[in-house]
Amino acid sequence: MRAFVEIDHVDKEFPLAGGDRYIALRNISLDIQQGEFVSLIGHSGCGKSTLLNIVAGLDRASTGGIVLEGKEVNEPGPDRMVVFQNYSLLPWKTVRQNISLAVDAALKKLSKDERKAVVEEHINLVGLSHAAEKLPAELSGGMKQRVAIARALALRPKLLLLDEPFGALDALTRGNLQERLMQICQESGVTCLMVTHDVDEALLLSDRIVMLTNGPAAQIGQILEVPIPRPRHRLEVVNHPNYYSLRNEMIYFLNQQKRLSRRKQAAPSVAIARNGLEKVNLNLGFVPLTDCAPLVVAKEKGFFEKYGLEQVTLSREPSWKAIAEGLTSDRLDGAAVVAGMPLALTLGLGNMSPIPVVTALTLSRNGNAITLGKRFHNEGIRTLEDFKAYLDRTPDTTHTLGIVHPSSMHNLMLRHWLASAGIDPDRDVTLTTISPAQMVSNLKAGNIDGYCAGEPWNSRAVHEGIGFVIATDLDIWNGHCEKVLGVRDAWAEQYPETHLALVKALIEACQYCDDRRNREEILGLICQPQYIGSEPAYTRPGFIDPYNYGTGDEPVPLLPFNQFFVNKTNCPDAVEDLWMLTQLARWGVVPFPRNWQEVLTHVRRIDVFDRAVHDLGVPHLIRDRSPVTLADGTVFNPDDPIHYLNGLAIKRDVRVEEIKLNQGTPVAA
Amino acid sequence: MTAQATRGVGRPQTNAIIDQVLKVLQRMIPPAIAIVLFLLVWQMFTSSPTANLPSPIKTVQETWELIIDPLYDNGGTDKGLFIQIWASLGRVAIGFTLAAIVGIGLGILTGASRLMHLALDPIFQVLRTVPPLAWLPISLAAFQQAQPSAIFVIFVTAVWPIIINTAEGVRQIPQDYNNVAKVLRLSKMQYFFTILLPASMPYIFTGLRIGIGLSWLAIVAAEMLIGGVGIGFFIWDAWNNSRISDIIIALLYIGIVGLMLDKLVNWAGSFVASADQK
Repeated sequence: MRAFVEIDHVDKEFPLAGGDRYIALRNISLDIQQGEFVSLIGHSGCGKSTLLNIVAGLDRASTGGIVLEGKEVNEPGPDRMVVFQNYSLLPWKTVRQNISLAVDAALKKLSKDERKAVVEEHINLVGLSHAAEKLPAELSGGMKQRVAIARALALRPKLLLLDEPFGALDALTRGNLQERLMQICQESGVTCLMVTHDVDEALLLSDRIVMLTNGPAAQIGQILEVPIPRPRHRLEVVNHPNYYSLRNEMIYFLNQQKRLSRRKQAAPSVAIARNGLEKVNLNLGFVPLTDCAPLVVAKEKGFFEKYGLEQVTLSREPSWKAIAEGLTSDRLDGAAVVAGMPLALTLGLGNMSPIPVVTALTLSRNGNAITLGKRFHNEGIRTLEDFKAYLDRTPDTTHTLGIVHPSSMHNLMLRHWLASAGIDPDRDVTLTTISPAQMVSNLKAGNIDGYCAGEPWNSRAVHEGIGFVIATDLDIWNGHCEKVLGVRDAWAEQYPETHLALVKALIEACQYCDDRRNREEILGLICQPQYIGSEPAYTRPGFIDPYNYGTGDEPVPLLPFNQFFVNKTNCPDAVEDLWMLTQLARWGVVPFPRNWQEVLTHVRRIDVFDRAVHDLGVPHLIRDRSPVTLADGTVFNPDDPIHYLNGLAIKRDVRVEEIKLNQGTPVAA
Repeated sequence: MTAQATRGVGRPQTNAIIDQVLKVLQRMIPPAIAIVLFLLVWQMFTSSPTANLPSPIKTVQETWELIIDPLYDNGGTDKGLFIQIWASLGRVAIGFTLAAIVGIGLGILTGASRLMHLALDPIFQVLRTVPPLAWLPISLAAFQQAQPSAIFVIFVTAVWPIIINTAEGVRQIPQDYNNVAKVLRLSKMQYFFTILLPASMPYIFTGLRIGIGLSWLAIVAAEMLIGGVGIGFFIWDAWNNSRISDIIIALLYIGIVGLMLDKLVNWAGSFVASADQK
């Protein structure tokens, strides 16, 4: 089926004085479905208004084009009515005359009386019947904009184009008009494309938000789905569990674009080769969690410098999605990533094209827990079976649980844990992605009922008395792989010695972290605001102190809770990765690769790890191949994953595909 | 006044009227003082018996007949000032109307068409700098008669600012209005009447105002040369007969009429141009 509106590989160039050309837009492709509300957002000058004008037909694309209902657009017309930023009412005509002019011009087929009725209907629709005879100069900004909207809607356009429609209005008027517009759009089912620079406006109104990168040669950087149900209300949307993570993602995108522009103006980031390494200036990403400790320790205790990496900066990222974006766009040299991310990115996560990411080092094991709101404890829920019984008792209530990323162990283990009790994680509960640091506030606001995340965010909920821990990962799979060092495959190929030095430095840092005598010192390091920025009081449990479940019982000492080095922590494990592959396929995150052997060998750079431990003189760190035994008694046999997948009771449609591995270049280099 | 105002307390309506009157008086006091001072200085410089120019008092004495009877008609060119002015206004009216029609037309043409602008603008730029009187011999040669020649001089004086301002007005139509027209697919006629004309109206009226001012400047000079009834020839005639006082009174009339013409066009423009455009 063809889309309602197709923006097909649109390029726009402007000639400059002196024969040069300015490339405003480069290769923009976007499909808009009928009835959809799509927003274009980006920094000023990124060409979003130009794109809107091209869709309107007021401007022509240099190459590519616009197709509306199968027909190419090459001139403006009333089927694509525009609501201009500055209203564009004719000042010498009254409200009624302005609308009549448009209606008379566009709806010639109707009789005079019918046209008159249309005009009156739309004047009433925007509540301006008392001002119909007034000239625009006598109206307030908000009223003028209502006239412009009425004029546009009166033409019954197929596509309504809005160019920063509320940009010039005060906050109160804007809010009211946004609700009005939303209501009208919903009632008339009109398809909308809106240009805005207001993040909250985009979230409130849109089904999808298209974020454009900065010009020149602006492209679509990211498309955000807004899953907030309609009808929406301005004051209520903020309570949706995804609201702030979506908002953060947009702000993050925009800030990143700003930084990129600034960096473009400054000297480009070039690899500084020194000490026999190809690149000593590294930008490593992390998400504020207790188990980012190896990176912090390597930086603060000088392990990076010891191996020649003199200029390492640690970049605090707001979410795992930001980490994934940073890796694939080459913004980050490497990152501490959730265990399943290298596999998921290599196989093509979501709508992203597959970008091979490899790992040569596991940074930590365990360290997660599942927290439920305090009210479940008050209901007497202590175990998974209690929870299952509770869900069966309340089939009409939606229970929402937070996860941090589809490819993270938190997602896979939470799903496995739920499924082991017969709870379907997609049908019996709702899972929503929220970045770890926002779990507590979402739980407090009642947007979610619980979550699976890393520390200190479970202990914080316990500390604040709003939640309790129903299970730690020791209760699900003791010793599972948690955070790994992820770098792009192409990066690893380009900087092999740097990669090796990085792995060596981090192995030493991990060793330092697992010496319990150092834990107090490390706690002081990671609690600093540039790292986690958390209170030591709720960062200690599990990491140093006995673990407090928040159930009123005595805290329990959990020695292996944060594992960084002991028990051959650091060696990438093929069986674990294969288990993750099966789980990612089980829940439909990515297809299962028929050539899983090839994928695993490619993603797990055991050769790099091997060289590192031999150089360091600790070859005993290599892991043996052994089946995975989970706490619920299931044993994962690594020899027949497809058989294992077929034998699972609760699962989604599992796709098995041959995955072609390529080097993969970054999308936005 | 003060006593009255004090008594007015307690009667707000009368008070308001008195306030209004006071305000008007306040506004009139400075110009009144200025005029009195001007007349005093004038009187001082011209009170000696050897003065070349008449003093204000003498001026009024000598022209009393002209002042009290502006409508007398003794035949020939010996007519009252009002009739003289009226004749001049008639010429201006015809010349200026022609200039407005041709000027707005050509202005829209050069404003809307880039080709026309390229072709005609250099001609306009050269011709507009020619002083009005320089056209007179040519027009006399062409028309062979005084009346049409005078009208032509008015026309050719007033037409350039009208053309240039109209063209500018058309070029300055906000892109938004043009976009609205494009999206609505207005026909050429609709575009002309609903967008182009109203949008360029403020500029057109600026042109008309400058044009009428220049016409009034030119008519006096033209009439001095071509003779007949008209305020310009009246002045020339007065000079030839050494009636300096008559000239002074005529100048006063010309100034007042010129001011009124300017106000008239401005007032007409305020009806056509809407509030947003001012």
